[in-house]
Amino acid sequence: MPVTVNVTSVIQQAVNGQREFKADGGTIRELIDNIDRDYPGFAGRITDDKGELLRFVNIYLNDEDVRYLGGKDTSIKDGDVVSFLPALAGGN
Amino acid sequence: MPRIPRAIIDEMVAHAREDLPNEACGMVHAKDGVPIAVHRVGNSAASPYRYEMNPVQMMRLERQRDDEGETLFSIYHSHVASPARPSPTDVRMAFFPPGEVEQEPMFPGTFYILVSLEHEEADVRAYHIRQGGVIEEEPIEVV
Repeated sequence: MPVTVNVTSVIQQAVNGQREFKADGGTIRELIDNIDRDYPGFAGRITDDKGELLRFVNIYLNDEDVRYLGGKDTSIKDGDVVSFLPALAGGN
Repeated sequence: MPRIPRAIIDEMVAHAREDLPNEACGMVHAKDGVPIAVHRVGNSAASPYRYEMNPVQMMRLERQRDDEGETLFSIYHSHVASPARPSPTDVRMAFFPPGEVEQEPMFPGTFYILVSLEHEEADVRAYHIRQGGVIEEEPIEVV
């Protein structure tokens, strides 16, 4: 089931400089695994040593943060748009 | 030295004041090196102590820059009650993953602008955050 994947500049290096591409998967977890198969190193860019998603990487399914859906187990379907977006944050 | 039109400075300060009591954040786009627009970005943290730029708005602005031939001149945010200087958190978060200061910063060449509302008159200052986590102030020339 192809979905459209968006990544921003910091992650684009891991996918041959693309900002948008197609990938398959029934869940976010499968999608990450499949992208990592096509672009080795992708998963390592967004997860820690234990395979957990880095806290400061946001994944959006269409316009919703997957943390408020089902996390990496969130189902995705044909035509969805999944975006991997590093946080830009700070504070005093 | 960053040369910044008065209107751009005024817009960042206005944004900072309007978003009180919380920190405000956004991006300044440039064309041919000249700052042309302030883009306010929502602070998902909605806090007086920290900011987290709305990631979807950030992505849309990045696409706009790519498509329009613009560059990211500055990332700005406000400090509501502390000086216009990057905090240790600001420095950590300038790198990806955060704290990996021996790498290139996420946005090399982009100015980090701080708008302090600590005193009645706003203080606006620009910095580069360099590899190694070094903070260098770049005096602003208002044009």
